[in-house]
Amino acid sequence: MIIAGNDLSKSYRSVKVLNKVNISCSAGEICGLLGSNGAGKTTLFKILCGLVSPDNGTIEINSKGPKPIGAIIEKPALYDYLNAYQNLKIFGKIQGAQIDDNSLVECLVKVGLPLDRKDPVGNFSMGMKQRLGIAIALLNDPACLVLDEPFSGLDPLGIASLRKLILDLAEKEKMAILLSSHIIDELSKVSTTLYVISNGKIVESGPTQRIINENTDTYTFCASNISSSKVLGKYTTVIKGNCASVQITQEKVPELIQELFNEEIYITSCTPELNMEKLFELSAK
Amino acid sequence: MRALIAAEIYKLLRQGKTYFALAAIFLIEGVILISAYYQGSNIIDILLDNLKQSFYFEGNLLNGNLLIYLILNTLWFHVPLILMIIISGILTSEYKDGTIQTVMLQPVSKWKFLLSKYIVAIIFTLIVVFFLALTSFGLSYSIFGFGDLIVYLDTLNFFSSSEAFYRLSWSFASGAVSMVFFSIVSLTLAVIFKEATKTWIIAAFFLILSNLLLKVDFGNYWVNRLFFVKLNDTWQYLFYTEIDWSGIYWNNLLLIIYSMIFIAFGLYLFNKKDIG
Repeated sequence: MIIAGNDLSKSYRSVKVLNKVNISCSAGEICGLLGSNGAGKTTLFKILCGLVSPDNGTIEINSKGPKPIGAIIEKPALYDYLNAYQNLKIFGKIQGAQIDDNSLVECLVKVGLPLDRKDPVGNFSMGMKQRLGIAIALLNDPACLVLDEPFSGLDPLGIASLRKLILDLAEKEKMAILLSSHIIDELSKVSTTLYVISNGKIVESGPTQRIINENTDTYTFCASNISSSKVLGKYTTVIKGNCASVQITQEKVPELIQELFNEEIYITSCTPELNMEKLFELSAK
Repeated sequence: MRALIAAEIYKLLRQGKTYFALAAIFLIEGVILISAYYQGSNIIDILLDNLKQSFYFEGNLLNGNLLIYLILNTLWFHVPLILMIIISGILTSEYKDGTIQTVMLQPVSKWKFLLSKYIVAIIFTLIVVFFLALTSFGLSYSIFGFGDLIVYLDTLNFFSSSEAFYRLSWSFASGAVSMVFFSIVSLTLAVIFKEATKTWIIAAFFLILSNLLLKVDFGNYWVNRLFFVKLNDTWQYLFYTEIDWSGIYWNNLLLIIYSMIFIAFGLYLFNKKDIG
């Protein structure tokens, strides 16, 4: 285990934002934190990163490096009047990192930032800022990376390349990665372990796929001629354009895809639709 | 710590607003000089018409020394106000842009980060006052030449040109301590209020109130002697006939102590507060 929060609680005046939250992440593991807006994700991450003190609970960090955690909370906040290289340099300097010019260039390349952009980062797209934010977070080789809503504001290309970067960091550099989102699709593609937070409580945790399977009763199938399907008549289905939302269990999905194939309906995507209400119901119990 | 200070100086110098503020200070200086060049003689003649019949003044009274003294008087309000805006901005802009969070997510000690800002605030303030003095001496003497200085403080005080230079130089030095105090206060206000507009309003209010209370008699010797609002006119002591050096040393020492108290208070608050 690289990082763990034990029994973390936090209140702002009378509002309990976190209630005895337990979370941990090991080397090479990607832990997703799923929760709706205001569920307590950002507060939890701020506490784990030491920005906010918890009212109760403890944080354990097993890293002996100079920088145990690298993080981006809420949004990548950068010095807009400096360019990417200068930002990286100044953040390296303030933490006393022994980084030469070549290493800084390597950092930029690692996160996929173009080296020919010399203009201030105020001109950068959100995706590029996100990448630069990650480059800054990665300075001084932290053992753990915390990313709060890293996919928000990114275009599909940006999301795909950020996803690849996160997977690479966990796989190749054995970094413990904690990331939050309110979009299950993105978390399901990267995280191995999922924590579900609702009203400041962890209401579910475990392997991501298990949680998704247990809480999914609808899948969306897309194909150009899906509205002509007769097989779908056996299920409760809502068709919108080229996609059909079908109430079906996970075990029956391969069978349905085969049946659709037999009808010459070639599925281009099959997306599980997590029943968030069912998932978050637990918090009310 | 040295790296933090260097980073703070770098950030300050890379921001356009720093140069706008500096330009404002030196523009005021320019306006004073230009106004004096075109209208000053007439005003001085009207003011001193009677005195000129009784006394002999060496040289033109509208001279470099008088202009330096007029520029020096921007230390009452204009210079500290602009300094407070720039200095508080070095923290409020970090709150506004969220960069303070990015900094605090690095292995950087909170108190060292803020202390480096205080140190840069002091250095920057001293440099600004030094350049204000340098340019005012240089421009005033080169445009208006040398001559006796006449100052009204309770009564009219006259100083020979060489005496005036000496007094004006020390007055800038003493004024620098006062400017540093206001800069430090503004940074502490930024720690408390975080947001730029609120901090500017409170800083301006603090400055105005300090200037108003300076003239108030609190009816108690020690309050009148020790309260910081009573210390910010020390640089004017140089223009009394007899220079009260012990008063100047004592007041400046007290202002330095007050500045250190404000720094300690700012560091304590910043350490205690959550970021974000």
